[in-house]
Amino acid sequence: MNAIGRPISRFDGRLKVTGGARYTADIPIPGATYAAIVHSSIANGRTVSIDTTAAEKAPGVLAVFTHRNMPRMNPTPKPWSHLHPHGQSYLPLQDERIHYAGQPIAFVVAATLDQATHAGTLIRVEYEARQPVVFGPQTARDAVDPPQFLWPVASSVGDAEKAIAGAAVKMECTYSTSDRHHNQMEPHATTAVWDADGALTLYETTQHIFGTRELVSIVLGVPPEKINVMSHFLGGGFGGKAYVWPHTLLAALAAKTLNRPVRVQLTRAQMYSMVGHQPATVQTIALGAGKDGKLTGIRHESISPTPVFDNYIEYAALVARSLWAASGGISTNHKVVHVNRNTPTAMRSPHEALGHFALESAMDELAYATGVDPVALRLLNDTQIDPHSGRPFSTRAMRTCLTAGAARFGWDKRTPEPRSMRDGRYLIGQGMAGAIYTHWRWPAKARVILKRDGSALVEAGTHDLGTGTYTVMRQVAADTLGLPPEKVSVRLGDTRLPASHASIGSATMANAGASVMLAAKAARDRAIELALCGRNAPFSGELRDDVLISDGRLVLARKNLQITYAELLARNGLATLVGDGNYDPVEEANGPKAIFSFAAVFAEVRVDPDLGLVRLNRFLGMYDAGRTINPKTARSQAIGGIIWGVGQALLEQSETDPMLGRFLNRNYSGYLVPTNADIPALDVLFVGEFDEEASPLGAKGLGELTAVSVAPAIANAVYHATGKRVRDLPITVEKLL
Amino acid sequence: MHPFTLSTVDDPAAAIAAHARDPELAFIAGGTDLIGLMKDHVALPERLLDINRLPNMARIEAVPDGGLRIGALTRMSDVAADMEVRRRFPVIAEALLFSASGQLRNMASMGGNIMQRTRCAYFRDEDDPPCNKRRPGSGCSARHGLNRNHAIFGWSESCVATNPSDVAVALAALDATIVVRGTAGERAIPSTDFHPLPGDAPERDNALGRGDLIVSIEVPACAEGRASHYLKIRDRQSYEFALVSAAAAVATDGRSIRSARLALGGVAHKPWRLRAAEMALRGASLDDIDTLRAAIARSFTEARPLAHNAFKIDLAQRVALRALQTAGARA
Repeated sequence: MNAIGRPISRFDGRLKVTGGARYTADIPIPGATYAAIVHSSIANGRTVSIDTTAAEKAPGVLAVFTHRNMPRMNPTPKPWSHLHPHGQSYLPLQDERIHYAGQPIAFVVAATLDQATHAGTLIRVEYEARQPVVFGPQTARDAVDPPQFLWPVASSVGDAEKAIAGAAVKMECTYSTSDRHHNQMEPHATTAVWDADGALTLYETTQHIFGTRELVSIVLGVPPEKINVMSHFLGGGFGGKAYVWPHTLLAALAAKTLNRPVRVQLTRAQMYSMVGHQPATVQTIALGAGKDGKLTGIRHESISPTPVFDNYIEYAALVARSLWAASGGISTNHKVVHVNRNTPTAMRSPHEALGHFALESAMDELAYATGVDPVALRLLNDTQIDPHSGRPFSTRAMRTCLTAGAARFGWDKRTPEPRSMRDGRYLIGQGMAGAIYTHWRWPAKARVILKRDGSALVEAGTHDLGTGTYTVMRQVAADTLGLPPEKVSVRLGDTRLPASHASIGSATMANAGASVMLAAKAARDRAIELALCGRNAPFSGELRDDVLISDGRLVLARKNLQITYAELLARNGLATLVGDGNYDPVEEANGPKAIFSFAAVFAEVRVDPDLGLVRLNRFLGMYDAGRTINPKTARSQAIGGIIWGVGQALLEQSETDPMLGRFLNRNYSGYLVPTNADIPALDVLFVGEFDEEASPLGAKGLGELTAVSVAPAIANAVYHATGKRVRDLPITVEKLL
Repeated sequence: MHPFTLSTVDDPAAAIAAHARDPELAFIAGGTDLIGLMKDHVALPERLLDINRLPNMARIEAVPDGGLRIGALTRMSDVAADMEVRRRFPVIAEALLFSASGQLRNMASMGGNIMQRTRCAYFRDEDDPPCNKRRPGSGCSARHGLNRNHAIFGWSESCVATNPSDVAVALAALDATIVVRGTAGERAIPSTDFHPLPGDAPERDNALGRGDLIVSIEVPACAEGRASHYLKIRDRQSYEFALVSAAAAVATDGRSIRSARLALGGVAHKPWRLRAAEMALRGASLDDIDTLRAAIARSFTEARPLAHNAFKIDLAQRVALRALQTAGARA
């Protein structure tokens, strides 16, 4: 009766569909006041005057903050640290400068949200405006080398240039991706409450409660132990809630000044400028190969925009370092262009989902240039040694993904010639791509409490982004304790619980999950200890290794003895038995093996050649993400990731007006995400191989892997259908007419 | 949102009088467009008058001669589901079903639908960029800005916006009339005259003035009604405004076109009737694609692209052709 590996439905599903799950902005707070943020309509310059007179007199208004009266904030040491994660280094309402459109310039607090919002419209701002710098082909020429913040900015193994120059087949192409926004259904929200002792509670839409605590501690100058951060449910994170953004700091300081709880929730439009986004990229790929398709050299370079005050790098060229082998060498590099915009941030499958579009499109172009089948080309360049680090991969089931995925998809029935497959008036195209995704090993703590009623409680300072954390942690604890999952409950999202890492990078299962497993083991071992040597010990004098755990009982099969957890605790006069789990792995980069997740994905599109319309017919993904803990939530992650990728491929682009320098389509009607009608049945398969290097649970990262390479698979299918190679996402009607 | 009061009215004369004397009052029916405009600070009415209780304005009458009279307060979903509408004028039902979402169609009224304002992102931007439709004289940000979704016909330097209504395109093709009651009594406005071109006064979306209330939409009987079709092209499959759409209706003798009606959506400040094409299509065979294509091209001599929408000139002709062929297959 293992819980792990079973497709268990979410335990919190009923709460969510009945409205019983309280999201951050739903939590009632006695005496709460409400804030509205007024933002800049210009993208570059400064405010000359901000007239708040009418707003201050408006009904219900308690205070209007601008840079003139907002308390000062401490600068942060460096943005994007996982320890104190600040989304951007520029602090709000500290001076009169304007660096980007939609920048906060006033913070209005009133008795009701409507009063605050209305008062905000009464504020009159006079600007001194300068022409904003926006990202485009002309500014891309001003790209500069940024300092490193995650991985090295550039890499070089062997001599890629020489290998490409001397190759029998060579090609060089430029690919571009659009600015995109996370567009979580749940807008970012903060409720800040100070108590009489100067302790701060933040109800926060965050994927990183402990990091939020550290960052707020630094900026506000309040000791971290005086701050508690809570995030019980998230209505989508996708990386956009991994860092601290201006509204959180503003709410905390306003609440302190007013000595009242303050709640702020971003408007849909403000979610385009007050929190991060995925920056556009312009990527150049050069490939050298033999006539047989065997790669000799890869060069991958990417340029992306960053604000004037930060050096955010979108590491799109990262993927070329480890996806395929190239005998002569691989080189990668990243540059940034400083423009008037807010700081980009990680968005579901950051780096990888952009880089794969370029690299896996280029691989398809190479397949056509050499006449080698796209699946065969990838099998030919597959490797068990990481080309970048020289380490063997812990597990790499790319070959299985390619061959089993192709078989299930029916790839052998595909005729390679473009425009060779039809269905009535429609052109049919089939395309595929391989994928690789970074695996993170991070420290995490958890606690498991066995109770006298025979149930168990898991406590871990991790988060449920909507992914099913509450459910999978139950499964992990249940199996380790030998309890049915119904007997286990889970508490997450509170800095009073054992510290865990940010729920980013698809790392929660492997790392926070490992800490839960270790905590459950510790609790179980303490129970065994009591059974062997406790008061009135039932297994006195027996060997620890002979004790089995099953259905809430400790069993000594050899002597036909057993005792329940409940009775054991009662016999020892204990209310609870606590196990602490401290997962403290070596960082992946310093380990003996290279750890990544892998996938092969296959797309079939239907193109109406008269009207330029592309529709997805079917999609198959085969994923090597280690052991599958819960096939149901894993499948849910996968179909969500594929849909995310369909948006990238066909629909999503945050459009910047070149004169105003602002994102123009700041709502769901202008920014298109897929609807149900855009998505056919999706076929999802898992290799499911246990990876002991990745995690004691055997799991590798899955969630983001599934959004990788959807776009190149679709673009390659569009080429197969139409003979048109689209190197610029999204693929819209005008690119196919 | 700007504060406002809400009251209700159940007498048409009282509603008209209130609207005529109070420039800060707006009628509200489904509210599916108005509320969004208010949230975005495009519309700032002081007073809303709920007209949903006005009598006899939410019904569909199948007129014995083959026409329809659709009350202005009839919900989009009710019109789309009506058997006589679907039998007599499938183009109307299709245009409605390809609009918005099920939830919105259950709320939105027919009168409100043809009054919905442009989806131009500059017009709806809460940060109020230059827009002559919103602030006359402030300029047009879209003219030299991002204008992929904007007009290719009839635009002016003052405004390049398009009308977003789908059903208005079908109504224009069918020569429907908009019945309006005002302070001076009732009048019928041809649907093709209901929306003006922008010219120098793009702030005007339609022919209504203060005190005007749309009472009904009348669709006259016509030989082409039954063989009609609405084709909508958009980037995603559902829940989006048209990039280009076409309403087509034909009457035939065998495979020969006796008469055709064609109107386009997403290309102008109003539903754009292709009259030159309609003339040229008379007598053409539905099987002679080259002739159909050439006939449609006659209406495109006056098309003028903007920086980002030149493709729509080609696309619109393809969409018109496909709509005509589909309608023809129903003849």
